[in-house]
Amino acid sequence: MIAVGAWKSVDKSQLVGALLLVALGAFVAADAWRWPYLTKDGPGPGFFPLWIGIALIVLSGAQIVVQVATSRDGKDAGRTSWKGAAPVLAGWVALMVAAALIRPAGFVASYALLTIFLIRFVFQRSWTAAVTVSLTSAAGFWVLFVKLLRVQLPAGPWGF
Amino acid sequence: MEVLAGLAQGFGIALEPMNLFWCFVGVFFGTVVGVLPGLGPSATVALLLPLTLQMNPTAGIIMMSGIYYGAKYGGSTTSILLNVPGESSSVVTCLDGFEMARKGRAGPALGIAAISSFIAGTVGVVLLMLIAPPIAEFALRFGPPEYFALMALGLSMVVLLAGRSMIKALLSMFAGLWLATIGIDLFTDIARYTFDRIELMDGVNFVVVAIGTFAVGEVLANLGARSSGQNFTVPKGLRNLMPNWQDMKDCRFAFFNGSLVGFFVGVLPGAGSTIASFVSYGIEKAVSRHPERFGTGAVEGVAAPEAANNSETGGALVPLLTLGIPGSGTTAILLAALILWGLKPGPLLIQDHPQMFWGLVASMYIGNLMLLVLNLPLVPVFAQILRLPGYVLYPVILGVSIVGVYSVDQRLMDVWLVGGFGLLGYAMRRLDYPSAPLILGLVLGDLMENAVRQSLMMSNGDISILYSRPLAATMLLFTAAILAGPMFRQFNSWRLKATEQEA
Repeated sequence: MIAVGAWKSVDKSQLVGALLLVALGAFVAADAWRWPYLTKDGPGPGFFPLWIGIALIVLSGAQIVVQVATSRDGKDAGRTSWKGAAPVLAGWVALMVAAALIRPAGFVASYALLTIFLIRFVFQRSWTAAVTVSLTSAAGFWVLFVKLLRVQLPAGPWGF
Repeated sequence: MEVLAGLAQGFGIALEPMNLFWCFVGVFFGTVVGVLPGLGPSATVALLLPLTLQMNPTAGIIMMSGIYYGAKYGGSTTSILLNVPGESSSVVTCLDGFEMARKGRAGPALGIAAISSFIAGTVGVVLLMLIAPPIAEFALRFGPPEYFALMALGLSMVVLLAGRSMIKALLSMFAGLWLATIGIDLFTDIARYTFDRIELMDGVNFVVVAIGTFAVGEVLANLGARSSGQNFTVPKGLRNLMPNWQDMKDCRFAFFNGSLVGFFVGVLPGAGSTIASFVSYGIEKAVSRHPERFGTGAVEGVAAPEAANNSETGGALVPLLTLGIPGSGTTAILLAALILWGLKPGPLLIQDHPQMFWGLVASMYIGNLMLLVLNLPLVPVFAQILRLPGYVLYPVILGVSIVGVYSVDQRLMDVWLVGGFGLLGYAMRRLDYPSAPLILGLVLGDLMENAVRQSLMMSNGDISILYSRPLAATMLLFTAAILAGPMFRQFNSWRLKATEQEA
């Protein structure tokens, strides 16, 4: 039996990651179970995903065991660091907001806003730098992709 | 002698000023459009096809093939400089190419990509010229069991892509295999894992996953470090921006390995350059005296997949020109173009239209040289991109990523997905799960499932069909050997440890 101390020393991020993969495997296998495993012509649509689900469960289970064992033996390569996760999350949310703005505001405007946010608030540069880089690069994208290469990017009410 | 006479006739045609001009135009536009992520060779060829329809067939096919290999080379540029793989075959180039860029060696990485593309492209053409018909007949012997074995061999490369943990690499690969099952099942019309979203019925595009996990994941990781200064050193002086003699020496086997693997995998319909690039990288790492350098900026890790990617072009033309079978999306478009020009690809093509076949072969030699002449001088120019400070470079990478995924199908859903995969890529980096096996599983999963299902249909469910045919059995033996390698090494290290303790 694994001692309580061993559990305490386990890298919780690694454990959560492996547990999420167990859940993914269970979801994949459970959904695959609803479709025919074999048909009269051979393997059905459930055949391949079911085995993928099983493999995900078995391997992530093995990962949990290895994680606990290495923590107990003190051979863990070091705890997962989430240092700097706050700006990452802020940048990611900004990217998602920019994606949501592409349809109503067009690519150029949403990209310009995303760039201003990243430079000013994530990289903590001056407003001048943020606005200058944002406008220059947005204009560059518009000229290169929309005008020269004719890539069909969503346009805002102002035509770009 | 027949070959030499044909080649002489071909050079006579290809060196005509107008054909030379069209070859240059094709290579140039192919490279320029191919640089854009999301626009791989097939999209580029499709995009530029209308330009060639008014030409005579010989000039048309010369320009189209120029576009084809120009686009293939173009894909490597963003992989090396920005960690943005424009197509699935460029994913492997990111592994060492971007690491070289991080270490201030973007120039040599781009240079080696150009040189290996030139060497492999030339080898591909020589092989196309010499052994096209017998090889095409051999490729026809590949049935579903052989394809299953080939895919298994491709997936076994996960062993060589694994970092510190084999289990994590396998988990990443199986997650990729699951992603490949998303969409409508073509055998039964059942929608799998689509969450009732119509956009997912066609499945998840590998470009979205590759750009998300590699490029967006990389940007997010740098946001975490708030690396706003110049993160990459770009050495001054032309000499430092080009590969040196040691690089060339280190890559000599990679050129050879990538060229042969690329050509022979390219001949097989459906296998494509992705599997060729992964397999050649795997071989390179397996035979290297310093496999630990791979993934940290080994120049051979750029040369082998780039060579395979370009040599595949020659290989893919073999079944197209000799049998009329298109092995990939790009060659399917080329087939359509040939038919539009009134040609009938097949066993009689070389006999009936020698000027077209030999003109194409000769123009491929010339085109490869043009590709090198065009791109080597541009290496120092491209490398300057990395002088941009982080706060300018990373938003630009995000913009290129959005344009890249949106331009594939004009779907906003893909932009959302690229954000989701970006976060996944960041988490994978933090948790030390490798991303390349995810792409490997995604790209090969669909082909593998089809091969397994078709094989078992052929045998009425008898599983022995998968390993009883000689070709399939040989490839499965190789697969088993590759998979057993790490287990053997682990066992050996335990044995040595036990022996030391006893002593």
